[in-house]
Amino acid sequence: MTQASLPLQKPATIRPRGAVFNWIGVIPFFLFAIAFLFLPSSSLFIGSFQNSEGGFTFDNILGLSQPKILDSYWLSIRVSAVTAIGGGIFGFLLAYAVSIGGLPAWVRSSITTFSGVASNFAGVPLAYAFVAVLGRVGFVTGILKDIFNIDIYEAGFNLYSFWGLSLTYMYFQFPLMVLVMAPALDGLKREWREACENLGATSFEYWRYVAMPILLPSLLGTMILLFGNAFGAYATALALTGGTLNLVTIQIGAQIRGDVLHNPGLGYALAFGMVVIMAISIAAYTWLQRRTERWLR
Amino acid sequence: MAYLELENVRKEFNNSVAVENFNLKVERGEFVSFLGPSGCGKTTTLRMIAGFELPTSGAITINGVDMTDTPPNKRNVGMVFQAYALFPNMTVADNIGFGLKIAKRPADEIKKRVKEMLDLIHLPVKGDSYPYQLSGGQQQRVALARALAFQPQVLLLDEPLSALDAKIRVELRSEIRRIQQQLGITTIYVTHDQEEALSISDRIVVMSAGKMEQVGTPFEIYNFPQTSFTASFVGQLNLLPVTVSDAEGRRCAFNGRALAVGQPIRFANGASVRLALRPEELNLGGASGDSQRNELTGAVESVNFLGSVVRIRVDVGGATISIDLFNERQLVLPKAGEQVTVNFPAESCWVME
Repeated sequence: MTQASLPLQKPATIRPRGAVFNWIGVIPFFLFAIAFLFLPSSSLFIGSFQNSEGGFTFDNILGLSQPKILDSYWLSIRVSAVTAIGGGIFGFLLAYAVSIGGLPAWVRSSITTFSGVASNFAGVPLAYAFVAVLGRVGFVTGILKDIFNIDIYEAGFNLYSFWGLSLTYMYFQFPLMVLVMAPALDGLKREWREACENLGATSFEYWRYVAMPILLPSLLGTMILLFGNAFGAYATALALTGGTLNLVTIQIGAQIRGDVLHNPGLGYALAFGMVVIMAISIAAYTWLQRRTERWLR
Repeated sequence: MAYLELENVRKEFNNSVAVENFNLKVERGEFVSFLGPSGCGKTTTLRMIAGFELPTSGAITINGVDMTDTPPNKRNVGMVFQAYALFPNMTVADNIGFGLKIAKRPADEIKKRVKEMLDLIHLPVKGDSYPYQLSGGQQQRVALARALAFQPQVLLLDEPLSALDAKIRVELRSEIRRIQQQLGITTIYVTHDQEEALSISDRIVVMSAGKMEQVGTPFEIYNFPQTSFTASFVGQLNLLPVTVSDAEGRRCAFNGRALAVGQPIRFANGASVRLALRPEELNLGGASGDSQRNELTGAVESVNFLGSVVRIRVDVGGATISIDLFNERQLVLPKAGEQVTVNFPAESCWVME
């Protein structure tokens, strides 16, 4: 009896052809990250442990403990924290108003567009805009003085001080909060509120037990992002205060540019310290975001 | 006095009527389903009972108390949502105990009740899990337990199974009915799935375009539909264009052939109407001279095997009718194009506009 037999064939392997091309697509990003993130960070790290002759030293790192340097870190942390918290709260309230506050749709699109522009408006133009508006002879300062007889500088306000700088930073801080928090607020499901009410909860209890715990990781995460955003700002502070405020970024500029305080090694160490603080911020932000994403899967 | 009563309830949204003239009395412990297509007003009515929507006019009373304007958090009504609506930041146990926590019950009482509920829904070891760690069916069980934990007066379910796959749906609907009967809780169930409504309800309210079409037991709704909408929406229905030839004698004519009708005919002689009959009432073969059975002949259009049922479509000249036969191994099926005779009892058909 003849039996027909099928030839034994190795099962065809399904090869994800597209995968190779997908990786080709992200190569420019990796090249960019290596050239402008990894290499400069490595250079910072190495420079932090090098003396002017290129030899190994701990002097730069030890130099970070100088009172003036510690003051600059403390000032940068205070400015960043104040603007992160202030911008965070104000931005959150604004995001709430446009997302679930029942305002007309055009208000949301207007505020979102403004936020997109304002969150990227920083540096020298922002500083000069604030000088033109709230400087000693600024437009609003003049109006308040001439029409309402209120001299804000007499009352203690100073644009070129800690609070003046913080106010200026708020201009790009709160729009960033709006941009990040509005989608998070959109993610609150109507059914959660209804389920809460149905189970006897008041609006306050809904926010206390459900909405806030869900939003909190995003809220804190975004505030950390704002903290990092302010911590790394340089041009705005320099243009506004002319270096009178001893921020870390201004210190780094002074050490590297070197008019008076030329010590590139210390500048590298200062920058390295900043990178560490920023890395901690990013790690905390990522951890908090993942926590929310896990819940909302 | 009815336990839950809706009296002349009407709801308008921006001058468009979503629900009108809705009157219903539900007895304590009864399971009533609102059945209808999307947009018929069934969910709006349910949301008015829950308090999420206020009626434009009319009254809603629960256990003799007027709840029409009572806010949702004061109604003591449990609700299960289509998309579960579990709180993602809380464990299963915390979700179930939430209503009791809000009511400020002692912690040990909450713990005991949560355990009872977990046992009731057959998930005794899932108390520490988060919603994202559960399947859709498990999440909906938890949602049910959460809605029942604080012992509500009425349980409302808004299409609770529509996000689940077919097998889980069938399992869970039996589970819902078992729990409802065990607890004896008055329940309103919204669905667009007729099989679901027919299988678990004590009574069904068929709705269309914001109005109640018919209220009755599943048996009444299926076998004695009072409106053409109910007849066509619930179950499969054949509609033959016929002319009333003798209203008193309950006779119609189709393609010159006289057909006996079991139910009284409310139309005048000569009126063009439709003869309605369920596919499962039809058989292949002649009537064998039985005067109480009608006979039609035609060509087989298609034969579809549906598992337990075989559906045969026959062109009887100007109309196509479906015949559902129970699947048996010895069943001899006709082929497409074959001429066949179809018979059906006069009692099984009725006349509609």
